[in-house]
Amino acid sequence: MGKKEKSPKPEGGLMKKLIVLSLVLLVTFVFFTGCRKKVEEVPPPPPQVKEQPKVEKVETPPQVKEPELTEEEIFERKTLEELNAEQPLQMVHFDFDKYDIREDAKPVLAANAAWLKKWTSVKILIEGHCDERGTEEYNLALGEKRAKAVFDYLVSLGISSDRMRIISYGKSQPLDPGHNEEAWAKNRRAQFTVIAK
Amino acid sequence: MKIIKFSPLFLLFIFCVSLIPLFTQQEVVLSIREGMPAIPVACPSFHQEDNHPLVKEAAQTLRDILLADLRYSRVFIPLPESYYQYVPPLNPQNIQFKNWESIQAKLLFVGSVSQGEKENSVVLEGKIYDVKSQRFILGRKYNIDPSLLRLAAHKMADELMKLYGEPPLFTSKIVFVSNRDGNDEIYLMDYDGQNQVRLTYNRVRDYMPAWAPDRKKIAYTSFKEGQAILYILDLEQGKLTTVQNEGTNFAPAFSPDGKKLAFCSTLEEGNSEIYVAQSNGTKIRRLTFNKAIDTAPTWSPTSREIAFTSDRSGTPQIYIMDAEGTNIRHVSFGGNYHDAPAWAPTGERLAYVSRVNLIFDLYILNLRTNQIIKLTESNARNESPAWSPDGRHLVFSSNRKGTIQIFSIDYDGTNLRQLTFQGENKLPDWSK
Repeated sequence: MGKKEKSPKPEGGLMKKLIVLSLVLLVTFVFFTGCRKKVEEVPPPPPQVKEQPKVEKVETPPQVKEPELTEEEIFERKTLEELNAEQPLQMVHFDFDKYDIREDAKPVLAANAAWLKKWTSVKILIEGHCDERGTEEYNLALGEKRAKAVFDYLVSLGISSDRMRIISYGKSQPLDPGHNEEAWAKNRRAQFTVIAK
Repeated sequence: MKIIKFSPLFLLFIFCVSLIPLFTQQEVVLSIREGMPAIPVACPSFHQEDNHPLVKEAAQTLRDILLADLRYSRVFIPLPESYYQYVPPLNPQNIQFKNWESIQAKLLFVGSVSQGEKENSVVLEGKIYDVKSQRFILGRKYNIDPSLLRLAAHKMADELMKLYGEPPLFTSKIVFVSNRDGNDEIYLMDYDGQNQVRLTYNRVRDYMPAWAPDRKKIAYTSFKEGQAILYILDLEQGKLTTVQNEGTNFAPAFSPDGKKLAFCSTLEEGNSEIYVAQSNGTKIRRLTFNKAIDTAPTWSPTSREIAFTSDRSGTPQIYIMDAEGTNIRHVSFGGNYHDAPAWAPTGERLAYVSRVNLIFDLYILNLRTNQIIKLTESNARNESPAWSPDGRHLVFSSNRKGTIQIFSIDYDGTNLRQLTFQGENKLPDWSK
């Protein structure tokens, strides 16, 4: 409002100056009224109202805060499907007929643990899988052992056990349908699904 | 939203063929043993009482199915068709038993087909005679809906089995898992692969079905919301009972006396242990206490013992324990990967899978003599054996032809048949 009152003030100056000034003022006027209009037109969604004070004190808040806030916001807005599609937790692989955590799986699980510590509300399902070179019955039990080994390892890294559940799919869900060592190595795995956040 | 639905189709077979007791019953039970030669049965063309084309067709179909059943049985053997030219045509009113004896028939099956009261229905009358003693042994009359000719012939064949003290085989059903409609669901089929019908309609995986001995219930695992829940499905009432929904629960096995249900659960410590419940799913009790994997329980015919797989010695091996979980002994030998034991209903045989050089074959261990027979010989994975009610046949899954399909085979490795062709099919269990 105050800025709008400025326009009549420089009356009586030189024509040129007046034209330039009035142009400048017109631009500012249009800009601010435009801004106000937006605010007036769309009062119901609260995030837009929040944005207004931000525009007014551009200099004061340190810019570091903004991205941190949005990361959480982005996380919050994602559906479980979207989150799982990003695969925030990497799968780990196992040796043939074995269920102990391999050395190369430990840094992967450490990274997974770090992610879980960051997002403390997340609950996960650990799925144990096997390759086709085992029987249906034994593989279902073996897949569970693999999931449990990962579960225990994550607990040892400080993840609360009530945030994790385990299941075995045996050999029923291979990642790679091939029948060679490469496919089998891929299929002997424990993978993660976020089931709550 | 109800997640689990059932097809009512399977109920048809229970009701649609009505049995009419025809003749006065004599309790004749003749017992036969393994190694005995199969009993030659003469089964001349069925007499047609009407000239109706339906009757003609039914007479042919019924005879064909009956003969196929007898041929499969290993108990009976139909006379070769060429033998019938050596005897005069059968006159049901005046049977010349000497003629039939002359072509080495032990039993004579006299079938006659007529039109039924209901439209399109037919009536099958079957009479069984002992040739040597010239005696009438058994008679049955079936009023048959045209869509159920197979079932009527199977029932007739089962009457012959019962006559020799054998459990009904041809009306038995095989339950299995198929992905033909997209994901793993439970299906039923006849012993010969006919009449394949879908039983469960889920979007989640249904797995490892097992028959109750009364043929009225099936236990199976369903994967729902990241849980592998064990259910008992009552086929007559369509009722579903949850047995165990904590942990991963699988590999159910009803005891032959119908009182208990053994299964695996990872309820405690994420390790598969064997549990036993009442057959209605209540009163769950843990049977194995071991840090190793214990899985794949199967009951002895007396329901007093359970064979199972355990890797407590380092690799999967087969053990037997008493039904209370005590007295555990190691029974498999000569290999480092044995699983999926299936105890024959006749007692002394244990079928199982053995992995040798990454090839899976079926073996049969004779528990009495400790002799092992290799049942399959293929460069493939042969898995999940299950016995027929009479212990002369088995079903199993195999990828010998590329995709995983269900096959049947006799206890001595003969008579291999492929039963499924659509999608991938596995984890069969044969009703007892």
